[in-house]
Amino acid sequence: MTWWQQLIRAGAVPGSGSKSDEPEAADHADLVEGTELQAHPLADGAQIPATVSFLNGMERWRIRAYDGVIPLVDAYIAAAVRRRDERGVLHTTAVRSRAFAVAAVASMPPTLRESLEGAAGDIAPVDGEFVGQPARYLEQVESIVRRARAHLERELAEAATLDLGTDEWLVLDGRLSRSPSVARHPRALGVIKSHGAQFLEGRGLERALTLPAGHRTSVFAVRGGHTRTETYSWYLRLWPWEGNDLLYGLLRVEARAHADTVARASEISAWLWAERAPLATPATRWDRLLYPLHQVAEYLKALAPRELHAQRAARLPRTGT
Amino acid sequence: MIAPRSDQTAAPIGRVVATELRPSTPHQFHFWTATETSIGIGAIVKVGDGSQESGDRVVYGVVTEGFAYSDLATPLHDVVGAEGDPARATDAPTARHQIRYWTAAVLRQTPEEPLQPVPLGQVFVADDADVAQALRMDAFLYSATPTAIPVGLYTAAGRDAPVYLDADFLLGPEAAHLNISGMSGLATKTSAVEFLLASIFAHFPSHKGRVAAVCFNVKGPDLCFLDQPGDLTEEDRRRYARLGVPAEPFRNVRLFAPLKADGVNLNTLRTHPDLVDDVEPLTWGLQEVVDFAEVLLNRDDIDAKADAFIDFLRDRVLGRTFDDGFGTTHRVQTFADLAGFFRSIFDGLEIIAGGRSDTWRTHHIATMRKVRNRLLNISTRCKGLVTDDGPSSDLPWKGFEDRTVYVIDIANVDPLGQDLVFARVVSKLREQLERRELGVDAVVVFVDELNKYAPGDGPDTYVKKMLLDISERGRYLGLVLFGAEQFRSQVHRRVVGNAGTQIFGRMDMDELATPGYQVLTPATKSKLATLPIGELMVRHPHFTQPIFVRFPKPPVLRGRDGVERFPPAADVPFEEAVVRQLVRLDRRVRPNQVKDLIADREHDDVRRALAAARQKRPDDAFAYFRKVLGARVESETQDAREHHAVPPLNPIADEPY
Repeated sequence: MTWWQQLIRAGAVPGSGSKSDEPEAADHADLVEGTELQAHPLADGAQIPATVSFLNGMERWRIRAYDGVIPLVDAYIAAAVRRRDERGVLHTTAVRSRAFAVAAVASMPPTLRESLEGAAGDIAPVDGEFVGQPARYLEQVESIVRRARAHLERELAEAATLDLGTDEWLVLDGRLSRSPSVARHPRALGVIKSHGAQFLEGRGLERALTLPAGHRTSVFAVRGGHTRTETYSWYLRLWPWEGNDLLYGLLRVEARAHADTVARASEISAWLWAERAPLATPATRWDRLLYPLHQVAEYLKALAPRELHAQRAARLPRTGT
Repeated sequence: MIAPRSDQTAAPIGRVVATELRPSTPHQFHFWTATETSIGIGAIVKVGDGSQESGDRVVYGVVTEGFAYSDLATPLHDVVGAEGDPARATDAPTARHQIRYWTAAVLRQTPEEPLQPVPLGQVFVADDADVAQALRMDAFLYSATPTAIPVGLYTAAGRDAPVYLDADFLLGPEAAHLNISGMSGLATKTSAVEFLLASIFAHFPSHKGRVAAVCFNVKGPDLCFLDQPGDLTEEDRRRYARLGVPAEPFRNVRLFAPLKADGVNLNTLRTHPDLVDDVEPLTWGLQEVVDFAEVLLNRDDIDAKADAFIDFLRDRVLGRTFDDGFGTTHRVQTFADLAGFFRSIFDGLEIIAGGRSDTWRTHHIATMRKVRNRLLNISTRCKGLVTDDGPSSDLPWKGFEDRTVYVIDIANVDPLGQDLVFARVVSKLREQLERRELGVDAVVVFVDELNKYAPGDGPDTYVKKMLLDISERGRYLGLVLFGAEQFRSQVHRRVVGNAGTQIFGRMDMDELATPGYQVLTPATKSKLATLPIGELMVRHPHFTQPIFVRFPKPPVLRGRDGVERFPPAADVPFEEAVVRQLVRLDRRVRPNQVKDLIADREHDDVRRALAAARQKRPDDAFAYFRKVLGARVESETQDAREHHAVPPLNPIADEPY
């Protein structure tokens, strides 16, 4: 018997996994439901709204050329809103995309810069301080592309909330607080599957991270994101974590900071619990990715330029037969 | 015939996709459609809209396979998502991404050269004009001398379009013959042939001459009511109108049936008093039978000695004055004469020769006994069809009429008699078509139950050889075989192989598993196994792929319905039957007069007199009947009979040429 088997026999919970989400800075959360963070079982019988729109985005970038050691990057970002009809089929209602070059324009020789500016109408500049250090340069590129994507998603979310029907909900992948107007909308939900930012500590944190499947935590208020707009949030466990890691099947839900959110947290959680099926496979984080959001991402991938698709592992020619 | 192309641009229903794993080829392509689409297996589609993608190339194809799948990586994920409860699987609020992915076989490409892989492009449902193009019907539909025969309506995606066969390839001379197979009762084989005959009669082009059909009714009352209207639905009538075929029964039908053993009642199910007058007796004597003696001999009987003796009888004895060498002169014209001839020889060998010899004119007594038994046996087994004595009543040879169906009802005849009827009728047709003296230029011969008459294995019977002969050489003569069977795989491969047009109704899965159906996709086989009544799959030389069509119910009374509407009458007593037949010839005949006349007469004499009256059809039937009955009725003089030897049939071999 191994040492960990002995520990499990002694009362430890079986688990697996390795590196977790990257840590992110987060403010302390204030509990708004009860006096202590508790695990609440979900309400029976999910009330799924008749009409729900789902928003997700994607990003792709590839190095296309080098100016000396400075990579010249081709980037593509896109976001879409797809509305679910009464048969459960998603239909696209809005889609936005942007293709642009990422380059340290100021550091480029005049001929190359003129050529780039002439050929690529949309250029995102990289600060000159990163030139000469390709690894840091690429981190910066990634950051630029991610920010551009977040901006695109925020714009689309704001537009989508304006078009929402009377009883229609908007569920978006990521934080709700990126946009004040979206964060204050009564029928907008943010579904967060990365848990680098921890808002809880001590016993509350332990209760949240060991939440049983089919339970949610008490609601707490968080401030975060670019806009620092306050939202209400809670954790929801979709699949049992025992035997996996602590974050397995764990979602954090964001909704507007309003008493009504607290009142409806169980009802909304039961709805999201019902969204476990179909499984969002083959996505690696299917345990906490809602299938409709996965489908929006797949839709965007299908629209993305083929040359930006993920590079093959081997660069040898490959036949299909 | 074909509706003009709509000016309105049709919306595409799909799009061609080609991947490295499943590329487009010159003969096949793949496309996707919306999940809810009106097309299915057998639908005809068109690729090409003149866009940059497809260029000027237009491709027509028929859907041969369909696939549906979702983004589910493994079935296990669905189980996990539903937590192992199938009832919960439907509770999922979002429907998985699905695809409807179709494979189509190319029917035609324009331009035809150079032949290239199907380009990417939009896919449209074919309209009437597209169907004509796709099936290469334009060549015979729009020519100066059209030869199009409607076979049914291609129906898909809420549209229907007439599908035509080329008469040059259905009735000759380019190709000919039609074979139809399918499950009994569900494939509607007989109905399909009835509709097709109606279509041929309505559309057979005048420049190709005159056409008639000979149908052998081999089971029940199937073909006994072709002149009576059947019940048609509004949908049937719409289909008739769309196909340009009159929704009415055959105008000209002549039905022949042998007599029963009593020699006066007809051996058919069409004996209802309202209809029986239209049935003509079919009776043959020795002269008609002997040319087809080979039909009566089974495989073990066929040897050179028997053949030689039959030839001897045919050439030296029948219809001639012949001295048997034992002091008796014979003139053999009937079965009765033949029996006397044999008796005289056997007596001569026994009594006069004292039993010292067992040969007569080089023929062994055993051979003679065998031939005698076979020939005389037929007059017993097929009494009513074959008469011992008296004149024959036959089809109107040399007088066939245009667009007329000749039905020969042999359903209740001994199988040997069926073979005899089939062999003689087809031989006479062939003989007279060769001489161009039949009265029509083409004859469709419909034979059901080919499994029985031309099986792939079993003995090489005369009938089988004859069917092979028609299959391989009939198209040059205008002798066209429409054959039907339940199991195509069990029919001689050269009989089905020579059929230019092949039709399939609902098929048995076991039959579809045989090698003959390997060219069909699993989806097509599945469709064939579940075809509804009235839908068929057609293969024709102009069609590069099988096409599914629907045909209307035939405009005639089905045999089963006919028997219900016109129940067969019970056999009537001899005297009454004679009266009826005479009244049929002459309505002035008084029944009591006839009964008094025949009251004390031999039945054979009465039968002979009646047959003579039937054959003569005099103005005063009773007077003629009384006159003939007054004396021995002489058989038809055979001296002047021209003996048309039937050309020998080739032995069955694997190599047809």
